Amino acid sequence: MPTYKDMVQPVRATENDMKKIHIDPTPDDQKCDKALQYLDEMRKKFRSFVTAMESCVKCGACAENCHTYLGTKDPNNIPTNRAELIRKIYKRYFTLEGRWFGKLVGAEDISLDVIEQWYSYFYQCSECRRCARSCPFGIDTCEVTFVGRQILHWLGIVPKLHASVGAAMEKVGNHTNLPKPGLVDTLEFLADDILEEFGVEMTFPVDKPNSDILYIPSSADFLLNEYTLKGAGLFFSYIGANWTIPSIVAEAGNFGYLFDQRFTQRHNVMRLLDAAQNLGVKKIVWGECGHGWRAAKMYIPTMADRPVPWPITHIHDEVAYYINTNQLKLDPTKNSKPVTLHDPCNYARACDLQENLRTVMKASVVDFREMTPNKDWTFCCGGGSGILFDDPEMYQRRIQLSAKKAELVRATGVGADGNGILCAPCSICKAQLYPMVEEHKLGVEVKGLIDLVGKALVWK
Amino acid sequence: MASININGREVELDEDGFMVDPEQWTDDCAIYFAPGEGINELTEDHWKVIRYLRDYYKQFQIAPMIRKLCKETGCSLKYIYELFPTGPAKGSCKLAGLPKPTGCV
Repeated sequence: MPTYKDMVQPVRATENDMKKIHIDPTPDDQKCDKALQYLDEMRKKFRSFVTAMESCVKCGACAENCHTYLGTKDPNNIPTNRAELIRKIYKRYFTLEGRWFGKLVGAEDISLDVIEQWYSYFYQCSECRRCARSCPFGIDTCEVTFVGRQILHWLGIVPKLHASVGAAMEKVGNHTNLPKPGLVDTLEFLADDILEEFGVEMTFPVDKPNSDILYIPSSADFLLNEYTLKGAGLFFSYIGANWTIPSIVAEAGNFGYLFDQRFTQRHNVMRLLDAAQNLGVKKIVWGECGHGWRAAKMYIPTMADRPVPWPITHIHDEVAYYINTNQLKLDPTKNSKPVTLHDPCNYARACDLQENLRTVMKASVVDFREMTPNKDWTFCCGGGSGILFDDPEMYQRRIQLSAKKAELVRATGVGADGNGILCAPCSICKAQLYPMVEEHKLGVEVKGLIDLVGKALVWK
Repeated sequence: MASININGREVELDEDGFMVDPEQWTDDCAIYFAPGEGINELTEDHWKVIRYLRDYYKQFQIAPMIRKLCKETGCSLKYIYELFPTGPAKGSCKLAGLPKPTGCV
C-alpha cells in the first residue's frame, strides 16, 4: 500500500526502473546528506526558488486558490505550507537564524521522514501555478515543487509512472512505448476511418524528408484521443500542408520537465532538434499537450545549446491564424452540443495561449459557454504534472483533486441534460478528465479542441 | 516485484500487478486476474478482446488504439467497459498479459 506514516504516496520506481533513467538510488543512510548537498546546489542556482524561501509572509492568499488544498483540506497542501516542507530545512542549514534558533524560527533537522513528506506532497501539487497567480509577492511556488522533485529524482525517489515515461522516451522516442510500426499502423487505420467518416482521402506522413511542417503530437493521441490526431490530420490536409510526424520524437510531452529538468528534459529536446534538422523542416507545430507546450515554448530556447532556426508554434495558433485570415471554412452546426472549455494551466498561465483557443472554439461550435473563473485564473483538472496515478489510494485523491473543476463545469450548465462537451485541449487533462467526469457525474464527453475543428471543416 | 503461482507456474508481476514478461502468458493468467479486475466470469467476448490484444501486441509491441480495438472486435467502448470494468487500458491489458500502458493514458 503506497502510504508512509498516513501520507499518501504514488507507487515508486524500483531500483531497476531508476537505473533505466541513469540514477543509482542513494542508500537510506546517505539520503539526508545528499539531499542537503543537492538543496545547496539548487539554492545557489535558482533565484526564483530562493525568493520563495525568503519572501513568503504566510498571508495565506494561496490556500483557497489551490484545488489540491480545496479538495483534500490537508493543511500541508496549502501552497505556502507545502513550500514550508522544504523551507524548514532551508532555514535550518542555510540561514543564520535557523542555525542558531532552530525550531523557534520554524527550522527543522533533515530526516528520512521529511524526505518522505516531500515525496508525498510534491506529487500532490500539480505545478499549475494558480498559487503564483494569486500571490501578492509574486512567489511561484511551482518552482519549489520543481526543486523538491529534482532532489527526489537525484536521490532515486520518483513515481513509477514518471520513471517509466522517462525510460520509454529514451528507448522509443515517446511516452507510451509506441514503436514506429505501431505508430504507422495506427495512422493508416485513422486515415481509413477518416475516409469512412468524412469522405476525405488523406494520409498521415511519417518521417517524410523535406517536409515544411514537423507536427509533434502527444503519443497518448495514438492510444486514446483518436479525434485529436484526426483533427490535426484533417487541418493539415485542408490547408494543403507539406507536413510530417517524426517517429523518433512522436511526443509533445516532456516528462523530464516534471521530475528531472536536466538530462531527461534535455534528451527529449535534443531528439526534437535532430528530427527537425534531419527532415529539413521549416517550422515545428505543437499538438495538444499543456506541460509539453510550456516545456517547448519556454524552455527549448535556453536548453538547446545550439541555434534553433525553426519557429515553434502551437497548432491552435496556426488554426486561429487561418480562421482570422478567412482561409478555413468551418460549419459550427457540425458541433451542436453545448461546449465549455477547460483552460489547461500551462497554456493559460505559462504560454499566453488563451484568446486563440476562443477564436478556434467560437468558429467551430454553436453553443460555447465560458467557465468561470477561466483563462489565467483557470483551476487545474487535478491531473496536472502527470499525477495520473491509478492505484486505489491515489485514484481516490485524484477524485478529490478534480472536485473544484467538477464544480465549475457543473456551474456552466453544460452537461445538465447529460449531453454536453467538456473541451480539454491537453493530453494530461484528457487522461484525468475521462474518468473524472464519470466520477463526478458531469454528463459531458471530454474532447480536444482540434477534435472539434476536424469535425467542423467544410470540404469543397 | 512479486512472483505468483498460477496453476503450478511461477509468474512474475510488477508493482502494479501486471505481468513482467508477456511471453509467460497463458489462458490461466487471464482467469487468475479476472476477479481482481471486477470480472466474475470470462465470456466469449472477453476472450475475443484478449486474443485481439495479444495478437496486436505480438505484431507491434504495443496495445492498439482503443478505437481500433473497438472496431476490430465489434465491441462499442461502452460494452468494453461493461466487459472490463476497470477500463480497457488497465483491465483488459492486464488480463491479456500486456505491460501496463504508460504516459498520459
